[in-house]
Amino acid sequence: MLKFLLRRILIMIPQLFILSVLIFTLAKAMPGDALSGQLENAHADPKVIAEQRQKLGLDDPIQVQYIRWINHAIHGDLGMSYTHKIPVTDLIGERLWNTLLLAAATLIVSYAIAIPFGVASGRWTNSWLDKWVTCYTYFTYATPLFIFAILMMFLFSFELNLFPSGGSVDPQAVPGTLNYFISKFTHLVLPTLSGALLATSTTIQFLRNEVIDTKIQDFVATARSKGVPESKVYSRHILRNSFLPIAAFLGYDITGLIGGSVFVESIYSYPGLGQLFLDSIQQRDFTVVSALVMISGFAALLGTLLSDIILSAVDPRIRID
Amino acid sequence: MKRKAYPSLLVTIFLVLSLVLSACGGSSSDKVVKKEEASKFPKTTTNKKKAIKDGVLTYGLVSDTPFAGTLNTTFYDGQPDWEIIQWFDESLLGMNKDYEIDDSGAATYKLSKDKKTITIKIKKNVNWSDGKPVTAQDLEYKFLVIANKAYTGVRYDGTVQQIVGIQDYHDGKAKNISGIKVLNDKEVSITFKSATPTVLTGLNTTPLPKHYFKGVAIKDMAKSTQVRKAPIGFGPFKVKKIVPGESVELVRNDNYWRGKPKLKSVIIKVVSPKVIVSALKKGEIDVASVPVDQYPDLKTGKNYQILGSYDLAYSYIGFKLGKWDAKKGENIMNPKSKMNNKNLRQAMGLAINFKEIGDKLYNGLYEPANSLIPPSFPTWYDSSLPKAKQDVKKAKKLLDEAGYKDVNKDGIREDPKGKKLTITFSSMSGSKVAEPLANYYIQSWKKIGLNVKLLNGRLQEFNSFYDNIEKDDPKIDVYAAAWATGTDVDPSGLYGKTAQFDMTRWTNSENDKLLTEGLSPKAFDKNYRKSVYKKWQELMKEESPVIPTFFRYQTYAVNKRVKDWTIDPFTKFYKVSVTSNKSVK
Repeated sequence: MLKFLLRRILIMIPQLFILSVLIFTLAKAMPGDALSGQLENAHADPKVIAEQRQKLGLDDPIQVQYIRWINHAIHGDLGMSYTHKIPVTDLIGERLWNTLLLAAATLIVSYAIAIPFGVASGRWTNSWLDKWVTCYTYFTYATPLFIFAILMMFLFSFELNLFPSGGSVDPQAVPGTLNYFISKFTHLVLPTLSGALLATSTTIQFLRNEVIDTKIQDFVATARSKGVPESKVYSRHILRNSFLPIAAFLGYDITGLIGGSVFVESIYSYPGLGQLFLDSIQQRDFTVVSALVMISGFAALLGTLLSDIILSAVDPRIRID
Repeated sequence: MKRKAYPSLLVTIFLVLSLVLSACGGSSSDKVVKKEEASKFPKTTTNKKKAIKDGVLTYGLVSDTPFAGTLNTTFYDGQPDWEIIQWFDESLLGMNKDYEIDDSGAATYKLSKDKKTITIKIKKNVNWSDGKPVTAQDLEYKFLVIANKAYTGVRYDGTVQQIVGIQDYHDGKAKNISGIKVLNDKEVSITFKSATPTVLTGLNTTPLPKHYFKGVAIKDMAKSTQVRKAPIGFGPFKVKKIVPGESVELVRNDNYWRGKPKLKSVIIKVVSPKVIVSALKKGEIDVASVPVDQYPDLKTGKNYQILGSYDLAYSYIGFKLGKWDAKKGENIMNPKSKMNNKNLRQAMGLAINFKEIGDKLYNGLYEPANSLIPPSFPTWYDSSLPKAKQDVKKAKKLLDEAGYKDVNKDGIREDPKGKKLTITFSSMSGSKVAEPLANYYIQSWKKIGLNVKLLNGRLQEFNSFYDNIEKDDPKIDVYAAAWATGTDVDPSGLYGKTAQFDMTRWTNSENDKLLTEGLSPKAFDKNYRKSVYKKWQELMKEESPVIPTFFRYQTYAVNKRVKDWTIDPFTKFYKVSVTSNKSVK
């Protein structure tokens, strides 16, 4: 196991290197830079802009810029954001907690809904419950997130006045007080539900299919014929096998959520990484774009590693030595 | 204050999203709205009720993205940050309706006889919100920071570079700026290399609190606590709390030099453009600037008043006529360029019905333009110039006269030499109406017999659009773009032999002469300057190196409980009050 882990981690180094070259070249291949945004301002001085470009090293050959960037990155310095004028690490740090909070909440809620529903509808196939759950999954599968998020906001915020319509916390709440945490929580409810309710559909369908497939396997029949009680057949034999693909996906899910959700964040004015990424591309804030892609690339590699570990933990058959 | 292209980027992102939305949801803004009498927008609220004491106002910062949080006049770089700063900091000198400095602010000024030196005197009771007085040293310090090599912003602009000795300081040859003299704690004089009226419109007089930035290196200032977490100013409010990227809570500055503000506190919240109208209707937000394409929805609300005024900007169609010579620092016109024919350019302007576009695509909030100086400059704007109006007959006549004739009878005109004429048009993507607008232009040009094709057959993304035009891509003949003029009327940065931003690369000696006259010492006389800019506007209309297409309206929604909010031209925040505890729903 240790050898396998070590090998996986070592291979990540060249992977990350190739990724960094790719990201950097692609980011630089985009037309314009952080300063071309000044181009509609009639009084910006072209000479000053040229001077800034030079100062930022944007005029240097791309390989020079790359070596400078990677050298700093290895030392933990991801550069300065041009638009935000603070170090990229600070900027990402500021947003990361919001994104992680939202991501964790979304993940937990979506699994909390998906697992019981998926298992139940697989176990009692063609029952009323199953039909409702299937209907629900089709509905959520077909609904685009940005429409659903707006709908949720109109219903629960503007019409019913239950939750706030945007932001991550009430501007007047004092950090550390109970009010602050309640405010954080109420601000989290709608973005989380918007993301989670739609994210459940694939998990439910997967689980349902797995349970149905496993149900008719020989070893289940064996267990039943040996007189194992039905509840134990499910909890011991069927569920463990049905969870395999879900476990395999967990790692990827985590990666996806770290990237942030552009739509949810934008509609609920929730400052997270997804919005930052989109915004930085538009602004040609190269340092931020490269840093974010590197981080999500790293998270993706980590996620697959995590998936493999989880998988080998739950399924001894695929353990690699 | 200068506007940056930043907001237009935000608008772009927003419009992309709203395009997706409207495509799926059938948004009401797709409906054709009947013509609005845009010029009839009031500029001041009419609420006459009695104000309540210690009210709280919620201001909506309409943006798709969190604000950057560079909350200082010297370092900010984007509209959302500026919208927050204006509540707690201001310029020393006030401004009149032509955006010229006057004595209505926290300081008064005097010009020397030769008009080269301005002496600014700060009024007595002007204090930073931490209690320390605003001093002449603070204003000097601001220039020392922006002219320093380590400064990372864009405020070291043309006007600032005209200060005597600032170049030496910038190059590290001098420790101070010889042209800036602190006379005493409250008085400072600034001397310019030459006397130009730009000093009245282009000089930035926001001081930087020297005592507050003590010990912070210039290169670290933009990211310092003093800018990001606990910014100070001498405006009517002071920052109490910042939730990074999403909201700011401000409380009244009891020692504000104009007097105690009426509101007790103000909450500024980022609101997505997609939900701003609902938030306004619900009374969650008291005041917000609303994007053009939300206007049809905005109109249906009853609990707020809509204010509107001309934006400091214009849209235009530009014609590529030459190249930028970086070595000489000059525009070089190419006499052989395809668009180098006045008649052709004028005809292309006459072919389009701008009125119809403004009404149907921009909900009446865009009006046909007639000049390169927008009406937001009431003194300089020449309202007598005829507005861009469709006249197909005249367009065809102009083309006939210039020899653009359909030789081979295929319905498409050939150039005067009888060769095939294909004009390439570059237009920006991003807005919801970009595609129909570009197609409408091309069809209109086809109707007068011109064969116009989109560059590479598609719209260009913002950055590559400007990249190609700036680099004088020889494929581009015509392009549609826009300028934010800022509060300085002087157009010499955009048109002329040495203007790098004159992306048409058009040169004309009369133009250079007029623009120089507009900045000459004589132009301190308003009537003289007015006559110069009138001549210039007429010249530009005649020569048409660019055709101004639209002036835009910016609209604001103000809840009916808000009193004394005005956009004429600036809100006086200390005067604003509310007349009930809860917003009107």
